[in-house]
Amino acid sequence: MSGDLAARQAELVAALVAGGPLPPGFAPAPVDAARRALLRKRAGDVARHWPLLAAGLGADWPTVFTDWADGRPTNGSLRDGWDLARELRTRDMLPPLGAEELAVREAASRYDGRAAPRPRRLPALARTGGAVAVQLAGRVRLLRPAPR
Amino acid sequence: MSGPSGVGIGWRPEIAGFVAGLPGLRFVEVVAEGVNPAGPLPDGLAELRERGVTVVPHGVRLSLGGAEPVDPHRVAHLAGVAEALAAPLVSEHIAFVRAGGLEAGHLLPLPRSREAVATVVANVRRAQAELPVPLALEPIAALFDWPDDELDEADFLTEILDATGARLLLDVANVHANARNRGGDATALLDRLPLERIAYVHVAGGAEAGGFYHDTHTDPVPTEVLDLVRELCARRRPPALLLERDGHYPPAAELRGELDALSAASGHPVVT
Repeated sequence: MSGDLAARQAELVAALVAGGPLPPGFAPAPVDAARRALLRKRAGDVARHWPLLAAGLGADWPTVFTDWADGRPTNGSLRDGWDLARELRTRDMLPPLGAEELAVREAASRYDGRAAPRPRRLPALARTGGAVAVQLAGRVRLLRPAPR
Repeated sequence: MSGPSGVGIGWRPEIAGFVAGLPGLRFVEVVAEGVNPAGPLPDGLAELRERGVTVVPHGVRLSLGGAEPVDPHRVAHLAGVAEALAAPLVSEHIAFVRAGGLEAGHLLPLPRSREAVATVVANVRRAQAELPVPLALEPIAALFDWPDDELDEADFLTEILDATGARLLLDVANVHANARNRGGDATALLDRLPLERIAYVHVAGGAEAGGFYHDTHTDPVPTEVLDLVRELCARRRPPALLLERDGHYPPAAELRGELDALSAASGHPVVT
């Protein structure tokens, strides 16, 4: 067989997390089961970083997350949840608990969607889905909850 | 500081209170990537250390099976955590977790090939050169095989352990899962593994779904896994066994029951 382990590992990871084709010789059903298991694990990991977002979606969380994450490689649980929350906001599907969590995060940190979020140095106000959060000297408070 | 002994549990922030309340506990494991070696230890872990409980850092993201050389910063972090916890050893996996610039998000299996053995051995030696304590290696659970295996599981693992001198962290649930999903006989594998090299054993729960057994760490430990613990102990009792639970935490009585079941199956003292 090919001695290029690096390339073959890369093909396998791409098939599992980035919608890449199944590498030659692998059994489709077990690899697909592994792909789904990775998505479920990732949904749990992101829910731990974004507990209110996940709680706000309740029983829909696993499906909403895996639909969004399928074929989209992770940028880490913090950014994954952040990106998903912003997309749900755009689609008007962000639940109030998720809006409050996103407002608090956006008041605390600056996140450009491309690199790791960085703490804000200056006071900041963030509004999301009717929720308002304020950050002063590193302390964040939810000023107004999102409407239920 | 002694090595891991008796029945232990994977320390997680969510169950720190439960773990702190186990009177006979002598060892826990902590996910190394969750500990900052320069900062204060997580709440609860420092208290366990003061009680003399052994804390073993368990790495999950070194990617020792990755085709590229192991990241020296990740090795340095693991070494720092070992020192911060005065750990007697550290553990990691025979697996890769990233390739081609993408994170898989979990442990992925290697082909059981000579090339993969050489890759793992080279990375393990790089890590061992920087670690202050011995390293134990854990074979993983996987749902699929590579198409080009040259070795069987026992030969693959034994070659890696022989070439590196690493200890074995045997996950009995993984042995069960692999036999169930990829074929093979779990007890026959126990007969061929170098059981005298076991530093400690992992035991975890899982569930059947979609025609596969999933090693979830969020479900109860099934009877088949406990039976396999007994099979292992009948051959050679490991010095320590550790229960891993990573979510869907059950009521305390249920977790105590699982720890007691490990004590009963292994003959180690009850820790609850």
